[in-house]
Amino acid sequence: MQRYSRIANRFWVAVLIGISFVMIFPFILMLSTSLKNMAELQRPVFSIIPDVLRFENYPKAMARGDWALYFWNSIYVTAWTVVLSLLFNSMAGFAFARLQFRFRDSLFIVSLIGLMIPPQVNMLPIYVILKYVPFAGGNDWLGRGGLGWLNSYWGLIAPYVAGSFGVFLFRQFYLTFPRALDDAAVIDGMTARQRFMYIYLPLSKPVMASLVALKATATWNEYTWPLIITMTTDMRTVQLALSLYKDEYTIEWELLMAATAVAIIPLLIIFFCAQRYFVEGIVTTGIKG
Amino acid sequence: MRPTKKLKQYDNTGYLFILPFYVFFAVFIVTPILMNLVLSFTRFNLKEMKFIGLQNYLNLFEDEFFVRSLVNTGLYTFFTLAFTMLISLFLAILLNRGLTGTPLFRTSSFIPHVVSMVAASMIWYWMYEPAYGIINRFLAVVGISGKLWLHDEKLALVSIIIMSIWKFTGYYMVIYLAGLQTIPSYLYEATAIDGASEWQKIWYVTIPMLRPVTFFLFVTGVINNFNVFEQVNILTQGGPMNATTTVVHQIFIRAFRDFLMGYAAAQAILVLIIVAILTLMFFKYGSQEQDVEVA
Repeated sequence: MQRYSRIANRFWVAVLIGISFVMIFPFILMLSTSLKNMAELQRPVFSIIPDVLRFENYPKAMARGDWALYFWNSIYVTAWTVVLSLLFNSMAGFAFARLQFRFRDSLFIVSLIGLMIPPQVNMLPIYVILKYVPFAGGNDWLGRGGLGWLNSYWGLIAPYVAGSFGVFLFRQFYLTFPRALDDAAVIDGMTARQRFMYIYLPLSKPVMASLVALKATATWNEYTWPLIITMTTDMRTVQLALSLYKDEYTIEWELLMAATAVAIIPLLIIFFCAQRYFVEGIVTTGIKG
Repeated sequence: MRPTKKLKQYDNTGYLFILPFYVFFAVFIVTPILMNLVLSFTRFNLKEMKFIGLQNYLNLFEDEFFVRSLVNTGLYTFFTLAFTMLISLFLAILLNRGLTGTPLFRTSSFIPHVVSMVAASMIWYWMYEPAYGIINRFLAVVGISGKLWLHDEKLALVSIIIMSIWKFTGYYMVIYLAGLQTIPSYLYEATAIDGASEWQKIWYVTIPMLRPVTFFLFVTGVINNFNVFEQVNILTQGGPMNATTTVVHQIFIRAFRDFLMGYAAAQAILVLIIVAILTLMFFKYGSQEQDVEVA
């Protein structure tokens, strides 16, 4: 590393502290607000430290709506989305990287279309598709009469199971495996399924971890899709419930901020524990592009 | 050369392995694109469907809300992307100097990216609050009178842009940082021998070497920002007086409030076309630049 003058260094550290402060401050404000009361918030002189820490705001905020259920919905939807999509993506990635079949490379190229289509554009037709799922939600065999998969867990999960990016990443990762591994396995009489299950899948941990972090964050944070397809309050996810909080009740800022804190703290804890994977996942996205 | 011929033989198990992915891919990605196209030529309200030819597309440009949303989306995309990229590049270069506390700074800039747009919007909704919000309180200390921000026709879009820059900078910065670490240090050493200043190194080595990363961030950034919806729907619902309505917000309103499914599908197709044209343009421009460099 080159030498920099100490004064210049101090200046740049100060700039960094300033920018980091701007990045973090909204969260500090959120926590501070969530522990105050209305009178404190409306005081002409602002103070970041509350007079008393009013933790009672949290149970109060959670009493508006069934937050245990919203959390359960979000966890359920996120877990199934992540498990199904990563399983299917790794299977497809393995096939595209290691199995020989007709049209393999064309099928792979076609699957990359998913990377180029903004999901927002597809929401309307997916809504129509879900409404006409046969035999679901009161529908007859032609998909008429009922709601189909609208307002259901499947409706929240299914559109996110395909993931072209995951397939792409798994394929690239599996291509780096030495061929000798496959040769040895074939000599031992392993089938493709066994090779996938006992060799490829166990060795996929790094790429799995990054994709779990990416996919779980994306699903947990999803707002638009639950907004469109859920109709009853019992199907709400955490994000949707939070977004409706300010519209359904008169705004009490300390409660709104408490609810916001509750909605983001689980994810932040996971982020701090597994930061590496969050960053790695994102970096691979960028470098590969 | 390969010892096993067996692996080279065609084998149908491959289809079984890609089947689950392809089913979901076909139903939820390919079919919707085709459906959008078909629906865009119809009048459809989920009950009755009638073929009306190009009428939806003709109506698009007489729809003042849609025209407004195109302008807003363009402005939003341009300013959000420009500032996000400049600030994140600056931050990444700073963080790459190995100053004290670098990991801490990196993590703190990344947190806005991890939290949901809903949560971020809630916090900024409170910060923009005209009477007690922190931003107006701060302005008062400096001696500037408070603004209405999200409720002000002129400032609403700016407010959303500022929040979005804050939200996205960390993500761009992390990718830039990864790009910076791939630049070989001998390039810097060579320019140092030539007597280049710090700024010259950044200008003549760092920025040109980062071009692929910049290109990637730019293309994906255009696509993502052009589809802005969440912040808008949460913070302003497109208001005041349509000052913040965006293209995807219009699609959402037409499809799920007015149930003009055919019309909304036409809007979606137009978005796809615009995004495709922009992407192709950038790719063409990007490769041309590289040709020049080689020659």
